[in-house]
Amino acid sequence: MSRMVAGGATLALAATLAACGSGSGGGSSNDGKIHVLVYGDSGNKIEKQIVDTFNKTSKVKAVLDTIPGADYQQKLQTIISTPQAPDIFFHWGGGSIKPFVKAGLLMPLDDFIKKDPNLDDKFLPTVYNSSVVDGKPYGIPMRGTQPVLLFSNKDVLDKAGVKQPGTWDELLDAVNKLKSSGVTPIALGGGDQWPTLMWFEYVYDRVAGPGLFEKALKGDKDAWASADSKKALGMLKQLVDAGAFGKNYDSVKYTNGSSPALVAQGKAGFELMGSWYYSQQQTDAKDFAAKGLGYGTFPTIPGGKGDASNVVGNTNNFYSVLKKTKHPEAVAEFLKLMYSDEFVKAQLSIGNLPTTTNTPQFLDESASPEYSRFQYDLVAKAKSFQLSWDQAYPQTAATPMHQAVQQFFNGQLDEDGFIQAMQALPTE
Amino acid sequence: MTTQFTSAPPTAEATRKARRRPEDSYAARGTRPGFLWALPATLFFTLFAIAPLIMVAVLSFMSWNGLGSPEFVGTDNWKRILDDPVMIRSIWLTLLLTALGVVLQTPLSIVLGVWAAGHQRNRAVLSAVYFIPLLLSATAVSVLWRALLDPNFGIPARMTWLFGDGNLFGEQATAIGVLAFVSTWQFTPFHTLIYQGAARAIPPVLYQAAEIDGAGRFRQFFHITLPQLRNSVVTSMILMIVGGLTTFETVLILTQGGPGTDTTISAYYMYQKAFKGFDFGAGAAIALCLVIAATIVSLIVVRVSGYDKMRSDMEGVS
Repeated sequence: MSRMVAGGATLALAATLAACGSGSGGGSSNDGKIHVLVYGDSGNKIEKQIVDTFNKTSKVKAVLDTIPGADYQQKLQTIISTPQAPDIFFHWGGGSIKPFVKAGLLMPLDDFIKKDPNLDDKFLPTVYNSSVVDGKPYGIPMRGTQPVLLFSNKDVLDKAGVKQPGTWDELLDAVNKLKSSGVTPIALGGGDQWPTLMWFEYVYDRVAGPGLFEKALKGDKDAWASADSKKALGMLKQLVDAGAFGKNYDSVKYTNGSSPALVAQGKAGFELMGSWYYSQQQTDAKDFAAKGLGYGTFPTIPGGKGDASNVVGNTNNFYSVLKKTKHPEAVAEFLKLMYSDEFVKAQLSIGNLPTTTNTPQFLDESASPEYSRFQYDLVAKAKSFQLSWDQAYPQTAATPMHQAVQQFFNGQLDEDGFIQAMQALPTE
Repeated sequence: MTTQFTSAPPTAEATRKARRRPEDSYAARGTRPGFLWALPATLFFTLFAIAPLIMVAVLSFMSWNGLGSPEFVGTDNWKRILDDPVMIRSIWLTLLLTALGVVLQTPLSIVLGVWAAGHQRNRAVLSAVYFIPLLLSATAVSVLWRALLDPNFGIPARMTWLFGDGNLFGEQATAIGVLAFVSTWQFTPFHTLIYQGAARAIPPVLYQAAEIDGAGRFRQFFHITLPQLRNSVVTSMILMIVGGLTTFETVLILTQGGPGTDTTISAYYMYQKAFKGFDFGAGAAIALCLVIAATIVSLIVVRVSGYDKMRSDMEGVS
C-alpha cells in the first residue's frame, strides 16, 4: 500500500509545488532577462541561434529554457502561475492556451501588432487564426506547420494498379484493389488513438465543412447530431467495414515505428499522417523515403460542403507572452525575429516549414525542396486549416475524445453512442 | 581432570538460553528498543505518507486545474466519480487484474521456488536466468512486450495458428490477458525467490521421517512443503495484491487504458484525470477510492490468512 500512498503523495506534492511556486524548469523573471521556454528537442539549435542573434543587438538579454520530453504541457501548467513562469513560451495553439487566457495570465498581442503590423501580416492567416482566443491574437507562429497528408507506397500502388486517390470513390476503389493484392490497404496506428482521429477530422471537414466543428467547439452540441455529422460517420464506418485498415489496427502503434514500417516494407498501401512522416521515413527507411514514398492531399468528397483545399493538422507552433513580463518592448523585438529571413532559412534547413509570407523565397534551401513546396502551397492555398481536434478542445477533452474515436472504429460505439460521447466533451 | 566432567553435556534447553543471553542483558539494562527508536520513521511516515494523504483528501473536495488556487466545491468531485461508470468499472478491473496476478503467480512461483531450492549446479544457473525479468524496470518490460506482441512484426505474425489476426490490444479479454501475462512474467521471479528461501528453511528431518514412513514426492510436497510455506504464501500474496492494486506502468505503456476504456484501471484513471485532463480534484477522489479499496482488501487478507495472530507453524520443530 505504501506505493499507493506515494502515488497520492505525488499528487499532493504537485499541489504544494504549484501552490508555493517552487516548480522546476523555467527561470526567474527577476534577473533582468527575458526567459523563453520551448519544448526540448532537436529543434532547439535553431531557437538557440535566434536567441543569440537577438542578444547581439538587445540590451535586455534573452535566455532559452527547455523542458524535454512529452510532459511539456504538464510541466508548463505547473510553473505558469508561479514566479518562475517564463516571459515567452512555446505551445500548439488552440485549446492548450485557453485555460491560461481564462486565468488572465497571457498578454493579448493587439498593442504589439498596432506598433508593428508585420507581426500579423507576415504570417499566413489560416495558421495565425488557431492562436486567436475570443477574437484576440495570443500567439506568433514559430517553428513550422504540420498538415496531415495521405502518404503511400508507390510500388505497392503500382502493383495493385492504383493511383493516389483524388476522390472518396477512388479511395474506396483503391482499398478493394489493394485488399485483393494481399496487403493492408491503409496502415493505421490505432493503438495510439490520435492517428485514428485524423480520419475523423478530414472526413468531417470534407462532408460538413469547417463550420460544423467550429460550432461544436463553441459549445453547440447539436452540431454533432446534425445530418452532416451522421453522414460523415456513415462514410467512416463504410471505410472501416470495407476492411481498409485490416483487422488488427488497434494493436498497431505509430509511436513505436510499427505503422510506418508497414508502409515502408510494402505491407500496406497508404497511411494518413502529419507532414513529419517524411522525415520519420527518412530516418527509419532511407531508401524508401527517397524512391518509394508518395504523398498527396486527402481525397475530395463529392457533394460535401468542405472545400477541396481544406487541410487539417497541427497548424503551427506558437510563442505566447505572459502578461506580467517586465520587458514588453524587448519581447516585441524578439517576436519580430519570427518573420525574419534568418529564422525562415534556419527552420527550412532542418526540415521545418515556417508559415511566413517570405518562406517561398527560400524553399530551395529546404532539406527537400519539392516536398516543402508542395506543403507550402497546400497550406497557403487552404481555405481552412483545422487544428487537430484534440488540441483545439480543452485538455480535459483529449482522453474521452480519443476513446470515443477508437470505440467507434472498433464497433464498441455506434453512431448514437459516438455522438453522445462527443456531446459530453467539455468545451470550456 | 575431574572438574572437566563435573557438569553434564549441555542440554538443548541450555543452548537456547545461552543464545538468548544478549537479549536478556538488553532487558536488564533497560535499553529495550522503545518509542524513541520509532520516532524518525514515524516522522518520515507522517511527513511523506499521512500528511499527503490528508492533503489529497482535502483536494478531493476542490476543483483545481493546476492554475491559480483550488476552489472548494463540496462533494462535487465525489458525486461525479461515484456516478462515473468508467470509475466503477476501473475498480473491478483493478481487482480482476490483482486476482489474476495472484492466481497465476502463486502456483507458478511455489513450484519454481521449491524446485530451485534444490542444490544442483544447473538449478543455480537456471534460477539466475529466471531472475533476470525482475532486474528490468516495469517500463522496459512493457516496451519490450509491446514490441514482441506487435501483430505484424512480432510473435503473433509468426504464430498465426495461435494468435489469429494478432489483435491482442484491440479486444478487452486479450488486452487484460496480456497485462496479466506481462506482470506474471516480471514478478514471478521475485516470489520464486521468497519460496526458494522458505523451502530451504524447511528442516530436512521432516522429509527424512516422511521417507521412512513411505511417503512419495507428491505426498511430501502436499503434506510437508506446502504447510511449511504457509506464512510465505501469505507474505507473497500480500505483496502481489499490493503490486496488483498499484499496477500502472504496464497499462500506461501496453494499452493506455484501451481499447476504449476496457483496461482503464483505477491508478491509470487517476493519472488520466489528474495529469492528462488537469482535473486534480477528481484525480484525488479516485486516489482515495483506491486507498479505501486497498485497505479493505488488505484487511480481508490479514483476517482470512490469520496473519494478524502471528501464529507460527514452527513451534516445537527445531
